[in-house]
Amino acid sequence: MKEKLEILLQEGKEKILAAKTETELQEVKASLLGKKGSVTELMKELPKLAPEDRREFGQAVNKAKGELSDLVDAHREALLLKSAEIPADFDCTVPGIMPTGGALHPITQMCYDLNDAFRSMGFEIFQGDDIASEMAAFDNLNFPPAHPARESMDTYWLKGHDQGEANEKLCLRPHLTGESVRYMRTHKPPYRFVYPGRVYRNETTDARHERAFFQYEALIVDKYLSFTAGKVMIKSILSKVFGKDVPVRMRAGFFPFVEPGFEIDMGCLVCGGKGCSVCKNVGWIEIMPGGTPHPNVLRAAGLDPDEYTGFYVNIGLDRLVMMRYGVDDVRLFHSTDLRFLSQFR
Amino acid sequence: MKLSLNWIKEYVPLPEDMDLTRLAYDLTMSTVEVEGVENLADQFKNIDVGVILDIQPHPNADKLRVCSVDLGNGEVQQIVCGGSNLYVGEKVAVSRPGAMVRWHGEGEPVKIGITKLRGVQSYGMICASSEIGLFDLFPFTEEATIVDLSAFDAPAGTNVADALGLNDMILEIDNKSMTNRPDLWGHYGIARELAALYDLPLKKFEEFTPDETLPVLPIEVLDTERCPRFMGTKMEGLYVKESPFKMQTMLWRVGLRPINALVDVTNYVMLATGQPTHAYDADIIADHIIVRRAEAGEKLLLLNEKELELCEDDLVIADTLGPVGLAGVMGGAKDSILDSTTNVILEIANFQAPPIRRTALRYDNRTEAAARYEKAIDPERTEQALNLSISMLRELYPEMKVVAFSDTYPEKLKCAEIDVSLDWLESRLGKRIPNEVIEAKMSSMGYTVTFDGDNMHVVVPTWRSTGDVSIKADIMEEVARMYGYENFEAAPITTSFDSAINQLDVDIERKVKEYLAFRCGMQEIFTYPWMTDEYVEAILQSTEGLFELVAPPSPNERFIRSSLLPNMAKAVTLNLRYYKEFSLFETALTVKDENYSAPYYENELLPLQRRNLAGAFVGSMDDVVTLFRQAKGVLENMSRFTHMEGFTFKKEEKPVWADDVVWLNVFVGEEKIGNLALLSKKSAMACGIKNSAVMMFELDIDSFKPFTSRTNEFEHLAEYPVTEYDISLLFDSTISWAEIQKTALGCKGQNANLQDVTFFEEYKGKHVPEGKKSVTMRLIIGSKEKTLKTDEIEACVAVVVKKLTKKLNAETR
Repeated sequence: MKEKLEILLQEGKEKILAAKTETELQEVKASLLGKKGSVTELMKELPKLAPEDRREFGQAVNKAKGELSDLVDAHREALLLKSAEIPADFDCTVPGIMPTGGALHPITQMCYDLNDAFRSMGFEIFQGDDIASEMAAFDNLNFPPAHPARESMDTYWLKGHDQGEANEKLCLRPHLTGESVRYMRTHKPPYRFVYPGRVYRNETTDARHERAFFQYEALIVDKYLSFTAGKVMIKSILSKVFGKDVPVRMRAGFFPFVEPGFEIDMGCLVCGGKGCSVCKNVGWIEIMPGGTPHPNVLRAAGLDPDEYTGFYVNIGLDRLVMMRYGVDDVRLFHSTDLRFLSQFR
Repeated sequence: MKLSLNWIKEYVPLPEDMDLTRLAYDLTMSTVEVEGVENLADQFKNIDVGVILDIQPHPNADKLRVCSVDLGNGEVQQIVCGGSNLYVGEKVAVSRPGAMVRWHGEGEPVKIGITKLRGVQSYGMICASSEIGLFDLFPFTEEATIVDLSAFDAPAGTNVADALGLNDMILEIDNKSMTNRPDLWGHYGIARELAALYDLPLKKFEEFTPDETLPVLPIEVLDTERCPRFMGTKMEGLYVKESPFKMQTMLWRVGLRPINALVDVTNYVMLATGQPTHAYDADIIADHIIVRRAEAGEKLLLLNEKELELCEDDLVIADTLGPVGLAGVMGGAKDSILDSTTNVILEIANFQAPPIRRTALRYDNRTEAAARYEKAIDPERTEQALNLSISMLRELYPEMKVVAFSDTYPEKLKCAEIDVSLDWLESRLGKRIPNEVIEAKMSSMGYTVTFDGDNMHVVVPTWRSTGDVSIKADIMEEVARMYGYENFEAAPITTSFDSAINQLDVDIERKVKEYLAFRCGMQEIFTYPWMTDEYVEAILQSTEGLFELVAPPSPNERFIRSSLLPNMAKAVTLNLRYYKEFSLFETALTVKDENYSAPYYENELLPLQRRNLAGAFVGSMDDVVTLFRQAKGVLENMSRFTHMEGFTFKKEEKPVWADDVVWLNVFVGEEKIGNLALLSKKSAMACGIKNSAVMMFELDIDSFKPFTSRTNEFEHLAEYPVTEYDISLLFDSTISWAEIQKTALGCKGQNANLQDVTFFEEYKGKHVPEGKKSVTMRLIIGSKEKTLKTDEIEACVAVVVKKLTKKLNAETR
């Protein structure tokens, strides 16, 4: 009888450990410790024993039952951790699956980053038209009548609309500033708005020149404003784009629609201002023009330049994205090439 | 433009120990962009004067000689040289080891070392002028001519830069940064800025007052608008010779080639004052000089041997026989300085800027003179140029006689005068600058400033009065830049919070783009506003109403887009080279030559421009249903995720580019706002798309009706279980899902437990008879009052099946 118990105990332990799933384990447990289980059955043979042996054997069986029951619990724990449905050779180095492949164009990404920054400072976002008259594109902006930019070697004029008075001649807008005047004409001062958009110039293209490119204009017009307010706008743009404070300088520059006008430089991030090939050894990189709107521009917007003044900056988004990521060919932005575009998330 | 610091110092006494980095920085901040500062002497490092002591034949080479060269301080070195003009006692330029030299004047500079030439050791080399960048100063025609420096008073061992007086710093100015400043296109103009920046005195030119008894030189200016001033001076007793070496180097160091003394003087005067001048051989001019418009078709042979056929827009300098020069651009070949010239007419003239630019561009001849004239030089500067020309010529030709002079200047330039309120200036600068400081800076730039209470009266100098300075903002700029932009602190922008910015139109576009990119996995693209002809033909199939460019980027890209789809199709075609399945979208303006209105100014008529959204889904031809459902799903859910009025789909008018069957018009309310369709086989083939299916859509964003706030509606969670019960039935393949769904939902009246019927799957093919389709739909069944029992659920299903069977001849499978 004792040997039989020993054997059952031994076999039972092996069976328990051999169970690969919880269901199997449950079956093994039932076959051993269930109502008709082999160990339980042993108890039924108790009466056949001599009375003096009964107590000892009973204890032995109970002990075995306890041992087996503990082993079942322990093995169940182990099985839960391992989850036998998943094979042991599961490879965790296989790559994950991309949620969705889409993305915004890198120019849009930059534009939205800037929109967020300017919105937080109370700027509206303006969207204008692609087609402008010569009046809006040049006359209103104080371009002299014979300015070279007006010629068709620089500006895309529309056939059938390239003759006549300045208000009748139509072109693809060569810059955003003309549209800014339109904004001012249709809104009430003071103004505080940004204007992202695409502009068009008749140019020979190469890695650094494009016929269609993106600008981001920010304009603030108010009664009492010093030109130094512009520094705040510039710093906001750059710290948003580059994620840190960037040194900025404003220096003399000339554009017909601002007076005074500035070239705005930022400290070269590659060399930290020490001078390198990227900044042509000067430690500064020219990034945008800016200035106080020319009195004639304010007049075109219907404002009295003695009363109102402002500050304007216009940053080239293509150039900014190129600098941010080291893109070396501006034509890629209009390439529609997914091999390029899908790199930007 | 290149500027010599030594030359500038002739006009303004910059300190000897001037920090050039600082100077370049200050000039950049206040006036023009200095792109670089180069030490001219750097290129002559380790190139010294040597004196040949002895010349021996080379043991192994006929053409080479072995020279002993005295390099000063008792140093004598052996140098192998192939020069053809070597002699004992000759002073030569020796490149010591370490010097940078261009072999035979060609290629990139290489570093000289101690080498053996045909077995004989050579310490560096004896150089030809072309090898050390001095060819223009020491030209030679015979090969292997080395520079003979014997004429220079420099002992052996002197560095060549010192020997030739070439110790100078060259500033490189960005021409684009001074297009508005005609006064800066010469050394004197920059010197004036530096004098103002550093509070230093500025030198004046020696004045030339023509003797009143001088005969008048006859000059006929027929177009005084184009030529506001013409000074002619006739001189005798001149002849062609080399200019003094120092003058040659002055031209050379800023990039001009010395030619002869007469021509060099004209160039020198231009580089000094910014005023171009031109010298004519007086004996060849037929009768007298005439300034007039060219006649159409008139011919002119220029100095550079190019023959032009002129047009009426060109201004010429002519004599009685015909044109002798293209005014303000370039002289003619006939009357310019010749070797035989002895009598000269010197032209110092002023020309109207824009026509000069047009002429220079027309003949692709943008000379130094044209570059200056097109900036609008002031007519008073001719006097400065005359003063300098005469004093230089007198120095070079003491025997010269001025024999005739005339100055045609009918309308004198008026100096601009501007009144500026000091309070206004303070508010715009954000700072009060003392009157004395303003006056000191302004007057050293040539302004006359007088104060009267709050008013500052400014008289602008002539050289800034051609349009450059005309309003008080200009004066503000002058004060600010001379005070130093860096001396103004950034001022915070003050604000008033009256309401939050709420721009539904701006926001909806962003929401839609983010929905398409982030949720639908589409890639945003940008394409040009013009379309390529073959895609216009493939998609639009008509060019009616399209705008056309006067000067298109290329002949087949002349039409402006009225739809985003041609460019979208092109983008699909391009990407099919690398990808099989992808989806793209673009937002941009579309325009047609119609529907004009004046949204901004009464008199600015603009065509209607609409912001459009286009998309393309590219996949396999084998599963158009999935591709269609993917595309349709993107549009169906757009309104829900972006919070705007929803779209409905109807078939009203098939887009020309669409497949005959797979197309839908998209509506917001009653308004048709776009299309969604499969690109027809015909259009696809015209685009060069072969084995792919392309679903495209185009919608008018301006017609979207965004809600003013989010539109989610809260529903209480179901209290009792809801069951999803899928059933598959066979239908005639002509019966649409819309009909099936409508019919099934019709059972709601009979059995209130039916909550919804949704599409699950459609199948045609194996195991489904021809002309039939198997449709799997999902019935949503539940009650608001209790948990349904199985037989209650099945009863509901039976009602639906029965109705579909009866009404639509559905068969159970």
